[in-house]
Amino acid sequence: MSVERVEREIARLQEGGQNADLVFAVRWYVIYRRVPTAGAQLSLPSEADVIVPVPEGYPAAVIDLAGLSVNSPLLPRLKGGQNSQGQVSVNGVEWQLASYHPHNGGGGPPWDPAKHGFDTYLDQVIAWLGQLA
Amino acid sequence: MSERVLVRLANPELDRLLAAAFARYPRRESGLLVRFGWRQTPSDLVLTLANIEAPGDGDLDLSRPNVAFTEQYLVRTALLAECDSLAVGVVHSHPEGHVPRPSHIDDDMDSYLSNYFEGFVPARPYVSLIASRVDGRTLMSARVKVGGRWLDTSRFLTVESSIANWRYAIVGKPTQPTERVARLRGAFGHEAVQRLRDSTVAVVGAGGTGSAVIEVLARAGVGKIVVIDPDRLEQSNLERVHGSRPEQVTSNDFKVNVAREHVLTIDPTIEVITCIGRIPQAEVVDLLVSADIAIGCTDSQHSRLALSDIAIRYLLPAIDCGVLLEGDAGQVTGQIIQLVRFLPSDPCALCRNMADPVRVTQELMSDRERRNRQIAAEAAARVGADGGQYWSQEPQLNTVGYLTTTAGGLAAGQAIGWLTGRHAPRLSRLQMNLSEPFFDVTEPTDEPRPSCACLRNRGWADQGGADALISPATHWPKALVIGTSLP
Repeated sequence: MSVERVEREIARLQEGGQNADLVFAVRWYVIYRRVPTAGAQLSLPSEADVIVPVPEGYPAAVIDLAGLSVNSPLLPRLKGGQNSQGQVSVNGVEWQLASYHPHNGGGGPPWDPAKHGFDTYLDQVIAWLGQLA
Repeated sequence: MSERVLVRLANPELDRLLAAAFARYPRRESGLLVRFGWRQTPSDLVLTLANIEAPGDGDLDLSRPNVAFTEQYLVRTALLAECDSLAVGVVHSHPEGHVPRPSHIDDDMDSYLSNYFEGFVPARPYVSLIASRVDGRTLMSARVKVGGRWLDTSRFLTVESSIANWRYAIVGKPTQPTERVARLRGAFGHEAVQRLRDSTVAVVGAGGTGSAVIEVLARAGVGKIVVIDPDRLEQSNLERVHGSRPEQVTSNDFKVNVAREHVLTIDPTIEVITCIGRIPQAEVVDLLVSADIAIGCTDSQHSRLALSDIAIRYLLPAIDCGVLLEGDAGQVTGQIIQLVRFLPSDPCALCRNMADPVRVTQELMSDRERRNRQIAAEAAARVGADGGQYWSQEPQLNTVGYLTTTAGGLAAGQAIGWLTGRHAPRLSRLQMNLSEPFFDVTEPTDEPRPSCACLRNRGWADQGGADALISPATHWPKALVIGTSLP
């Protein structure tokens, strides 16, 4: 995994005001902090931390999936949220990965490592959290 | 810290370097400042020419016959160096006919400039390179200050250009004439035979195609062959893998061991380094960056991507070859061979659409992740949903021994031309179909995409790691290197 590349992308996010962390727990993950959601109108959290696995071989491999804390009330209302792609324990938090595949036929552009990264994946995460059922 | 220093130079930067160094030829010296990427391997410090900081008005004191850099040039380059992680290099020429042996004046200059740049960018190599033309040949010397020590360059590795280490050019090396390569010597000349003997070729993949490459190179007298493959020999490989025997399947041998045995049977004086590993694992990259050229012989897209990335970042000329057998209704309809040249100045595999990100992603997954994805895809299909988001069935690439041997022989022939300087690969990306009239030879035109890192990463070596196209999967077993370099 190219730590330098992910750190550079996280630095770009931080320049734009979005905090994110690169963490390792068996494998690498990026955790986006306090991402805005559409939950306020539904009396649900208006922001959430989101975990995304760093794919093996990144950046050649496609960034895929997104996850929330297992007990997040947002999860059942999100696209793919009821189709668990596994649970992971990172930084003392249990996370559940949802079946969300924006760069693999899920509504986003085809993956291009020259254009896309964890900085641009924030757009996909925001779009995901912005559509609650 | 290794004692061996390899300097890799490639166009278009090399042409620009030589033009600036020889700007006041034949009688006056000139010079310029350059930037190098580097990688420290267990055996070598490998330096790769990355950027030319061409001199502008007032950067050189032209009133003097020898080269004199002005303060504005030095400080500008030092400040640029502070913005990245490349090493600084100083290049100057000696007048025509004078060997590039460092003089006392050069010693003083290097002592001063190495300390000067160390003040701006400590703990980076300082490279001093001297070029001259002697009897029509371009000779170079280089020395490097690293960790407070001065090291002489052991070898220059260039692409599409003949640069000789002046020590090597003058002293020469003992030749090893052998009757076994008499025909090759007759066709290519004695020097070509010697160059092959002094060469190192890395072969990535020791299956059908790779074993054919290795066979041809060993018989041609290449002095050192590096073989990289993670897999063990299987029964079905016996139809294609040169040198393989049924008992090696029974004993569960690795393919690289099959290759080593076969090479040593052909010529026991060849040095064979084997690596049970995958490109671009660090141990594999260490081996590749010290080779003269690399030949990719795998059927995986991530390997092609990695080879093209290494070719560009470490200035490693490479050839990738692949084969495909197509059939329909019991008939063979396509016998396809593809040879792709990866020069540092060529577009990368992504720009050439040689890697499908989804397939690459699947190739790089762990077995567990693959199983989970396949189960999810099956579950989706059962309820009528699209399972492709979880898993796309990977096509089984059929091939046969005569096709892999043909492709491997062609690739090895191109490599021999490159190594001997007798013919350079004219191909950029050659595709042929042996089932079609005149083999339907085509050569697609590939252009780099403006946004791609391959346009800005040439020669950046480890320092361009943030722009690498691919990284090794964390679940791969650690690569194991067997065999050490001869002194």
